[in-house]
Amino acid sequence: MRSSVKLHPTRWDAAVAAVILLLAAVTGGAYWSRTLSAGNRLQAVVSADGRELDRVDLTALSAPETRTYSGSGYSLTVEFSAEGVRVASSDCTNQDCVHTGEIHHAGRSIVCLPARISIQLTGGAEDAAVDAVIG
Amino acid sequence: MTRKMKRAALALAAALLCGALSGCGAEEPAVTETFAMDTVMRFTAYGKNGQAAADAADREVRRLEALLDRTDGDSEVSRVNSGAGAPVTVSGETGRLIQSARTFSEDTGGAFDITIAPVMDAWGFTTDEKHVPDRGTLDSLLPLVDSGTIAVEDRGDTAQVTIGEGQSIDLGGIAKGYASERIEAIFREQGVASALAYLGGNVYAHGEKPDGAPWRVAVQDPQDTDSCTGVLSLRDAYAITSGGYQRYFEQDGQTYHHIIDPATGYPADSGLLSVTIVAPAVGPDGGDGLTGGTMADAFSTALFVMGEERAIDFWRRSGYEFDMVLVTADGRLLVTDGLEKKFERNEDAGYIYEIIR
Repeated sequence: MRSSVKLHPTRWDAAVAAVILLLAAVTGGAYWSRTLSAGNRLQAVVSADGRELDRVDLTALSAPETRTYSGSGYSLTVEFSAEGVRVASSDCTNQDCVHTGEIHHAGRSIVCLPARISIQLTGGAEDAAVDAVIG
Repeated sequence: MTRKMKRAALALAAALLCGALSGCGAEEPAVTETFAMDTVMRFTAYGKNGQAAADAADREVRRLEALLDRTDGDSEVSRVNSGAGAPVTVSGETGRLIQSARTFSEDTGGAFDITIAPVMDAWGFTTDEKHVPDRGTLDSLLPLVDSGTIAVEDRGDTAQVTIGEGQSIDLGGIAKGYASERIEAIFREQGVASALAYLGGNVYAHGEKPDGAPWRVAVQDPQDTDSCTGVLSLRDAYAITSGGYQRYFEQDGQTYHHIIDPATGYPADSGLLSVTIVAPAVGPDGGDGLTGGTMADAFSTALFVMGEERAIDFWRRSGYEFDMVLVTADGRLLVTDGLEKKFERNEDAGYIYEIIR
């Protein structure tokens, strides 16, 4: 068998390998960071008339938090916690949003038709994720 | 190739690979949310025409709302109602939808009936003043509930619709289903391969998800609205649920929901908590008004009114192509065999699971 000293790695080969490893680390890090920040974290997206008003990262909450939103002349008091979200009170006419109770899983939403406000949960555990809930 | 060229080629290949990997799973859909037809709607579409398709879907539901909303005095349905007793000229589209509703009423033995409108008004379901009407009021209104009196003369672009004196019609039990069918057509026109249209309790799943998986649509548990009875895996299909657990009011300690039995004038009390109808997409040739989302919407209401026995009998004998998920008040989850491999039940919900064949 013929051997060749020409195949021995040089400093330039090591540099190219280092660049490849660095690129792989940066790419992988960005991918997993994006997955963790957007995909697996349970978020509540509050919209009025189709326009996003607020986005609350429930996973990051260490204590329940209450916020108030207004739409079409009505006001909703919404309670967020690490476990889920509910409309604690509303001055809307039908109280359907309050009746919905607390929601905990991605794909679920609370809707207040009179106020034209929706609260949708996104992200969360991959195995529990659904694209829509009907009922 | 020299050593330098090899190094450069290797570095370039690595950079391209990393660039491609970083783009994996990064396709973001276009999402449009809107309030129309008394519900919230969300259109999610992937691909280069995704935003155009979602925006067109939004415009389409608003166009249909303007035609079909009977609480809008300028709608075509309002004109039919205010002209009750005489022929009224409407668009061919509205006329054909009313004709479909009439057919569904006939085929379901009146369990679905768009002439229920005067009774709905007596309950105040279209207003903020919901209340239980007295028996005398209901007895005087029930004779008006009869789709057999509706006459539709289709003239192509227009139609002449005649309803009986004193009657009025409400297309709320079919309009969202029809709208979802129009959205299927829009997705096809725009060349969108992967999209989901959510219209309140209605879903149209177009194609499959960008990763090739079916769309996962959960069916809410009527007894625990934060939980589900199971998850449907859908491709090119409609899924529409009716139940009495979301829109209701309480009076004197009693709960009254909004699905009225045309035979009694009272909220349907058939032993079912929810009915989900699953129907195939109508396809590129379009529907005939008696399939797809239009049919699924009408039947979700009709079969809720019918109750378990009549609903199963109807599924077996009617000749319509659909499957269904029934949740009964005595804790059973009934799924027709066409969904056996598409429905992943949630065992934690505690229902007794039965396949209907």
